[in-house]
Amino acid sequence: MNSVLPFLLPTLSEATDGIGWNIFYYSGLVIFLVFLFAFLARKGFTKRAFTYMPTRLAEHLLVFLDSMALSVIGPHGRKYVPFLVALWLYIFIGNVMGLVFNYTPTAEWSMNLSLAVITVIYVQYEGIRTNGLFGHLKHFSGPKLGGAMVVVSGLIFFVEIISECMKVVSLSLRLYGNIHGGHIVVSSLNSILPGVPFGGLLLPIKFFTCVIQAYVFVILTCTYLSMVTSHGHDEDEHESAPHGSHGAMPVGEAA
Amino acid sequence: MDSIAVGIGLAVGIAGLGVGIGQGLAANGGLNGMARQPEAGKQIANNMLLALVFLELVFLLTFVLGFLLMGKIH
Repeated sequence: MNSVLPFLLPTLSEATDGIGWNIFYYSGLVIFLVFLFAFLARKGFTKRAFTYMPTRLAEHLLVFLDSMALSVIGPHGRKYVPFLVALWLYIFIGNVMGLVFNYTPTAEWSMNLSLAVITVIYVQYEGIRTNGLFGHLKHFSGPKLGGAMVVVSGLIFFVEIISECMKVVSLSLRLYGNIHGGHIVVSSLNSILPGVPFGGLLLPIKFFTCVIQAYVFVILTCTYLSMVTSHGHDEDEHESAPHGSHGAMPVGEAA
Repeated sequence: MDSIAVGIGLAVGIAGLGVGIGQGLAANGGLNGMARQPEAGKQIANNMLLALVFLELVFLLTFVLGFLLMGKIH
């Protein structure tokens, strides 16, 4: 009842026993589609220019996410690209599935919450791996303040911990609200005149929302990764090119 | 219990008003910057999109709140 074209596929099984098995079927379908796309893209892989369509699409996607990771995270951002590609493919294919099917896993808050939890835990792991456990915790307590200002550092620490936890909520609620809200609008448009799918008029803007939401989830992951890993990068490479206020100082002195 | 329905409508409407104004201001600044300095366009577009996303979250919180409250209408 939520989809734009309700006659295409019936819902596999409405949740009758309180578990809601739909999410398992449909997220399995999304994973199958992701692997099918990857398999097809792998098949057209050649040494020269790619002519096979899925391979070219995959190349475009890879170059796009690669440049995004390099520009947002920094020069060491290339190693996070596989994670970003996996997130992008899952979210994008799940969103687009919601345009034609009756159900999509990304319109469920539980699915998005699990994606956000995975992302935030991975970001913390990367921060610990880059800066060490103590450096990562020191990162939370803001700028270095001496004397009696240690109390302020403690306060900043608690606020930062709370904001880390709110990242999970904001990441998951954003995806859920956009996709689920779109479905609600479409189903209420469909119910104006019975049998006339007015919601189909919203297809272009819903597709746009699908792209934007996948993009936003990935770029926010990039931003969180850059916030967590950039500091250690600055300390590790003293000779690196100026990026940010840390690097601008030596250049000014040299000139 | 009808007051809940009115409240949901008011909440979503007012939140949409405020977020619309805020996103318009953000897009105004971003597009102005991109028009004045096209070579920095990509960076400005990225940052503008981030700002738009954080603004949109305010509306989405209201939306989810309204969606939760909708279960209380009898």
